[in-house]
Amino acid sequence: MKPFSLQIGTPDGLLFDGEVERVKVRAVTGDLAILADHINYVTALGMGEAYIVLPDGTRRKAACIGGMLSVMNGECSVLATTWEWAEDIDHQRAQEAKARAEQMLAKGGLSDKEYMIARAKLQRALVRIGVTTP
Amino acid sequence: MASNMKAVKLRIKSVQSTMQITKAMELVASSKLRKAKERADISRPYFKELYDTLVTISAGNTDFSSPYVRIPDNDKYCYVVVAGDRGLAGGYNSNMFKKVEEVTAGKDYVVLPIGKKAVEYYKRRNREIVSESFGVIADISVSDCFEISRLLCRLFREGQYGHIELCYTEFVSMLSQRPQVASILPLAEVSTEDGEKTAGIRELILYEPSAEEVFDTIVPEYLAGLIYGGVCDAVASELAARRTAMEAATDNAEEMIEKLNLYYNRARQASITQEITEIVGGAEGLTG
Repeated sequence: MKPFSLQIGTPDGLLFDGEVERVKVRAVTGDLAILADHINYVTALGMGEAYIVLPDGTRRKAACIGGMLSVMNGECSVLATTWEWAEDIDHQRAQEAKARAEQMLAKGGLSDKEYMIARAKLQRALVRIGVTTP
Repeated sequence: MASNMKAVKLRIKSVQSTMQITKAMELVASSKLRKAKERADISRPYFKELYDTLVTISAGNTDFSSPYVRIPDNDKYCYVVVAGDRGLAGGYNSNMFKKVEEVTAGKDYVVLPIGKKAVEYYKRRNREIVSESFGVIADISVSDCFEISRLLCRLFREGQYGHIELCYTEFVSMLSQRPQVASILPLAEVSTEDGEKTAGIRELILYEPSAEEVFDTIVPEYLAGLIYGGVCDAVASELAARRTAMEAATDNAEEMIEKLNLYYNRARQASITQEITEIVGGAEGLTG
């Protein structure tokens, strides 16, 4: 398949800059994949699993949370709040985070803000676990 | 003469202890600078990419349903002013404020100060402050930036102000830092400032699910990203400015000590000569 250029940036640095065949992310409306020669396109990203397919066919999985995806004149850029490659995620830690968040939610008596944070933490942990489970 | 010598000696001592402090501050600043510079370098590509993308998008945008995009009829400005926590950084803080005064002249505006010096500055001038909770720039993290951006966006939507501009000091190099004012909202303004070349041809963009929804989700993140980038740059600039200022102060102190030493030695010699003359004179008086 025809490759196109992709940049993945987060506040922690530019994580990827190069050619890919395909990029799949979870947008606010659901999963979507971008292939070469896409029309100019902008969407907001949700929380979920993402992957890119390199020109040699290897697939790299990642956890992608928040941000935006844009295609301008054939160049795609993903600007995410967090983007973690599957190999960088600590599965054990994610499990622990999930347990902690679930405990928080089960305990109850949280303020709105605390509830939101606990929910977000749980979501994030679930995404990380999902990405690292083969 | 003797009392003069004592005064000089004291002066040398005090300059010496000042030099010790400036030297220590210089060392602290340069070690912190290394870390801050790294952080700024890491976040810069994201910062730049985010800004460029939004500029391209808004230059090509034909949909003005989102309040973030429209040209507002509200003439009130909100300035996010990023300054340092401490002084003794040469002209770092005052240059920033001078620049802000320049651009704000004649405008109705509120400020969101980041950094203790900025908070103090605007409090003293009784300027309307959006929030003081981000007073300490050293503690600002990514999540704080998201909080700032949520706050700014909420007030923006409520119509408290129609424009948001970010004032920070750009880190050009170790020796040069430049105060900058960048307009960040509404997007229509961002694109007219930088995207004049592209204004001729408007590219059609597909937004999903809708332009309004996309902008409403993206803009708070964009704002947070820009503020974080600005903060990273400003911290690095502050440390670099402090390092340069302290280096100059240390050099000056060295020079002063040298001069004072010379003066002290001269005074010492003069007093010895005087004593000898007195002794010789006295001896002559005895023999004579």
